[in-house]
Amino acid sequence: MKLNERSVAHYALSDSPADHTGFLRTWGGPGTPSTPSGTGRRCWFVLKGNLLFSFESREGRAPLSLVVLEGCTVELAEAPVPEEFAFAICFDAPGVRPHLLAAEGPAAQEAWVKALSRASFGYMRLVVRELESQLQDARQSLALQRRSSWKSVASPCKPQAPNHRSAGLENGHSLSKDSSPVGLVEEAGSRSSGRGLAEWELQGPASLLLGRGQSPVSPETSCFSTLHDWYGQEIVELRQCWQQRAQRSQPKCEEQDKP
Amino acid sequence: MRYNEKELQALSRQPAEMAAELGMRGPKKGSVLKRRLVKLVVNFLFYFRTDEAEPVGALLLERCRVIREEPSAFSISFIEDPERKYHFECSSEEQCQEWMEALRRASYEFMRRSLVFYRNEIRKVTGKDPLEQFGISEEARFQLSGLQA
Repeated sequence: MKLNERSVAHYALSDSPADHTGFLRTWGGPGTPSTPSGTGRRCWFVLKGNLLFSFESREGRAPLSLVVLEGCTVELAEAPVPEEFAFAICFDAPGVRPHLLAAEGPAAQEAWVKALSRASFGYMRLVVRELESQLQDARQSLALQRRSSWKSVASPCKPQAPNHRSAGLENGHSLSKDSSPVGLVEEAGSRSSGRGLAEWELQGPASLLLGRGQSPVSPETSCFSTLHDWYGQEIVELRQCWQQRAQRSQPKCEEQDKP
Repeated sequence: MRYNEKELQALSRQPAEMAAELGMRGPKKGSVLKRRLVKLVVNFLFYFRTDEAEPVGALLLERCRVIREEPSAFSISFIEDPERKYHFECSSEEQCQEWMEALRRASYEFMRRSLVFYRNEIRKVTGKDPLEQFGISEEARFQLSGLQA
């Protein structure tokens, strides 16, 4: 199978953020026996996202190997020699033996196991969607707080649905199979519809887009004029709402200034 | 560079963000347009011969550039060699737009930037760090300082 290796190697060496680095002993690679033995080979490892690269040394100009960290779990393991700090990357895929690695101390071992457990794309996606919906909630609460100053009766906010997802976010690897982006989006949508009276007041392009999983404040919205339009439209609608209420409560009042 | 090919092949069989039969042309000069089943799974773009179960190849989508081409087409190139393009032809404008949008968001780096953005925004609105409750606020992968300009 072909891979854009030159680009991959370039990415490995680039200044893109490394999530973890360090020396590890490794027993993997072609030409190595199927049962690991001996002390292994000491390499410099760099974890970037869901990609684990190894180099001959810290100054290595080309990666020796790449392990793509999808569909795997990370477990503590026994090393062939009395190396106490071993762990293994275990894949679901058939016919794939675990990648055995050993750290230089217990703290390093723990740090690596944690970092590798949270390396999958699915885990990151889960955290992003969680934060996206939290931001949506936070902005809605803020908007409600602002409105409660002129509203005579504040609508009670229904308590949020229990967040089953959050228990898994600490323990990254257990979620990599469960994380279903579609399921999460649906959950967020149904949660907001159970809010009560205050919800309808937020109807407008911004909230519609939020409902569909986009956010007017996400980094995807690179165009300021679009952002401006979204918020502008919401403001116009809210203003109309307020004016209608004001006119209903004081029918003889003069018309307020138009925007 | 060695890489875990078996695991990548297994990954290519996972549920895809997007999958379609597209015309594909490799970056080499004189490459011919071929029908390929193109599948986007996490930050990899796999391409298969239409009647085969194992992919012909995979593209890691980190630091890639997706450019609109004519007609109803797009190309993927990489930062170290922007002229070296993988060319994809779609059957319609809409399909082309859909793919470009999906590919733009397909990298781990894009997700990382989104996360940092949301984390910051939530801090601004609530005064609290949303990652603290999960015990992951100190993880390197969630830090603003990790991002380069």
